[in-house]
Amino acid sequence: MKQFINQILFTLFLLTSFSAQAGELMVSDPWVRAGPPNAPALAAFMKLDNHSATALSVVEVRTSLAVDRVELHRTQMKDGVMKMIPQEAIPVGAHSSTLLKPGSWHIMLIKPAEVPNPGDMVKLTLVLDNGSEKTVSAMVRKGMKMMSGDHDHNMKHD
Amino acid sequence: MNPVFLRLCLVVALVLSACNPTQSRPSLESATLLPTAKKLDDFKLVHFGQGEFNLDSIRGDWSLFFFGYTRCPDVCPTELFMLAEMMRQIEQNPTAVEAVPQVVFVSVDPQQDTPEALQKYTSYYHKSFKGVTGTQDEVDRLVAAMGVFYERAYTLYGKPLIIEEGAEVPEGLEDSYLVNHTASIILTNPDGDMHAVFSTPHVPEVMIQDLAAMQKAW
Repeated sequence: MKQFINQILFTLFLLTSFSAQAGELMVSDPWVRAGPPNAPALAAFMKLDNHSATALSVVEVRTSLAVDRVELHRTQMKDGVMKMIPQEAIPVGAHSSTLLKPGSWHIMLIKPAEVPNPGDMVKLTLVLDNGSEKTVSAMVRKGMKMMSGDHDHNMKHD
Repeated sequence: MNPVFLRLCLVVALVLSACNPTQSRPSLESATLLPTAKKLDDFKLVHFGQGEFNLDSIRGDWSLFFFGYTRCPDVCPTELFMLAEMMRQIEQNPTAVEAVPQVVFVSVDPQQDTPEALQKYTSYYHKSFKGVTGTQDEVDRLVAAMGVFYERAYTLYGKPLIIEEGAEVPEGLEDSYLVNHTASIILTNPDGDMHAVFSTPHVPEVMIQDLAAMQKAW
């Protein structure tokens, strides 16, 4: 029960602290996956909600973390083989959401000068195709899953 | 009695007997058991600080092999966290399996992954995990023997670069690649033979359940 309450509190904390809502794009549950101290690459995940009537796309991401470069990627399974395909943009349809999650869309932080520890916060600035920017704070944590909403990739809103 | 029905019964009986040879086959949710365990040719990989990693290194234990590379930011960490969670659950409930498996992460990218860096990377997920690699030829032999697959996919400014088969990689781009690879986990038995394949997706609880069933039936 205590754990359950903690989970609720943590979720509320996540929702209130890290959701950045400014107009068209809402970002929720942003996180950077913790890795070994010598990890050559880290992935960042989050949920993107587009509440506008215009399709949007994330074309660039900058980070407060010292990295060699940032790339947008999508993992796709083809004939049993996992392919990581670099993407020029991550699209979010009108009144839709796109889930960046393990095994799917992700932001790749390449060659971090120092791998952050679980609990650290990493700033991510998403640059949209319309020129606007959104900065969110992503917590570093271990694991293989999103906190929530792992099932609603590209779900249409009512 | 209807002769067609009789013939059908005969066919069903034959199929059932064919499916059920002398040894009982465990009922599995995710793993695919090889019809007969596959003998592996010896291989010569390197386990940092432990010397050669070969057939003798896997005899006597059940081993789970996963193939990847450390620059892999998505699939490999997901699988290694999954395997770590599986180990945590086995540690909490040791009787869930007949024998604790060893987890072996094989880097298919020895160009980038030195044995030392690979072991440091692999140990992060679980202290017992072994990170092994070797010459590209030795890695390729094991990859082929275990029926897995990988390929280097070159990129330029973050975009896929098509290199015709047999063509040279453009100068300066030798390191600019991602590796596409199968995410299947291969199980070898204590004889050192390839025993089963766990296809994706992998769930720790199901892995443990299937592993225990195969160990019991062995």
